[in-house]
Amino acid sequence: MSDTFLIAGAWISAGLTIFLFSFLYKDNPFFKVAEHLYLGAGMGWWAQVYLYGVLRPKVWAPLMNHDWMVLVPTFLGLSLITQFIPGISWISRYGFTFLMGYGAGLELPTKLATDFVNQIGGTIQPFVNVAGMSSFALFNAVVIAGGVICVLIYFFFSVEHKGAVKKASNVGIYFLMIYFGASFGNTVMARFSLLYGRFDTLYTFSASKYLYATQFILAGLAVYFIVHALMNRGKKEIEPAQ
Amino acid sequence: MKLIKKQIPLAIVLVFGTLTLLTYFVPHKRSVNFLETMNKWENIVAAFAFFLGLINLFYSHYTKISRKADGWGYSIFVYIGFLAIAIPAYVSHGKNMDGSVLTWMGWAFKYIYNPLSATMFAVLAFYIVSTAYKSFRIRSLQAFVLFAAAMFLILGNVPLGQMIWDKLFGWTSYAISDIVDWIMHVPAIAGKRGIMIGIAIGVVVTALKIIFGIERQYLGKD
Repeated sequence: MSDTFLIAGAWISAGLTIFLFSFLYKDNPFFKVAEHLYLGAGMGWWAQVYLYGVLRPKVWAPLMNHDWMVLVPTFLGLSLITQFIPGISWISRYGFTFLMGYGAGLELPTKLATDFVNQIGGTIQPFVNVAGMSSFALFNAVVIAGGVICVLIYFFFSVEHKGAVKKASNVGIYFLMIYFGASFGNTVMARFSLLYGRFDTLYTFSASKYLYATQFILAGLAVYFIVHALMNRGKKEIEPAQ
Repeated sequence: MKLIKKQIPLAIVLVFGTLTLLTYFVPHKRSVNFLETMNKWENIVAAFAFFLGLINLFYSHYTKISRKADGWGYSIFVYIGFLAIAIPAYVSHGKNMDGSVLTWMGWAFKYIYNPLSATMFAVLAFYIVSTAYKSFRIRSLQAFVLFAAAMFLILGNVPLGQMIWDKLFGWTSYAISDIVDWIMHVPAIAGKRGIMIGIAIGVVVTALKIIFGIERQYLGKD
């Protein structure tokens, strides 16, 4: 790919990044353009994933080899499109019920094994070898087992939460709070690592090799905000309808 | 009419749900082959479901443009964004790389889709922090526990946190990463397991209700 396309890519990439970041200052047309582009680009991306990853190899190629069985899921899939035709929209039920049936049949044993049996097993298993455990490992195992029981009591609504049940349920809340706090911390760190990545990209595209894309776009946006503020000085900003 | 409108769809759920469920307990080659076929069928139907959503999105933005509704001009950019990825994908046959060379599809992904999606999620970092400031105002011991766990996780993953820890608690011979490790593998895992077990029970009950036709809201109205 020639340098021209790399420079064009740098300008587009830096522009879209800055347009989206501009929302941090305030809502503006550049952000809205980038937001709508993201929606369209996201759909475009998934459309090509389904087209080249599913429909071509799993429908078109088998049909070319006279494998007519793929017509069954194809018709089930096409039945979904009848959602747009009010008179025959019930046909779409065939496709939806297949998805629901298959999904329910697949999820039931998988969830039961991984999220139910395995989790209970993981909680009990450390106690199998109590004699060989260090006191710290035993403490951890007791904390986990006690925590799981307390959290389950918190979610158990068949008995009234009072007395010992209430106390155990309250302890369960603390374990939930630690889990939510830890999840929150991890999410924040993941988002910030994306943020560093975007800043790094903007720094890269600020080089002379890319014709100072970042600086020019930032300056252009700053000029827009200044001019917009000057032109609307004294005017009351109309709140968008909710 | 009731047969083809209601009973056959419910029979489809029952048959496919039961057969897929049974494959888990039947370790036979035919069972494995059946599950593979069903997985392929599900992929195909899900692809059509995506296109159903795509048509719906395009139609709603077309309506917005044709009626010149508020902000209709922005709706045009939904189509531009779609074409900006779809045309290069068509030209490159859905391939990002041709050997070691970036294809048009790869170019569109690198310079259009990736900046948009990464920045959209990165912007959320600011909102998460501002929301945290509002919600983390410590009003109770429970809120303090949530705040403390989050702070340990955040500070434990950055050099600044290690520096602060060394200054204050360096004498303990523990690193902040040890504390983070303990939080993640002991109390947090207890909370997570409780939730996972609860969700698993909910999923099992809902799946059984769907398979046996007790839950039918997804069928819509007659």
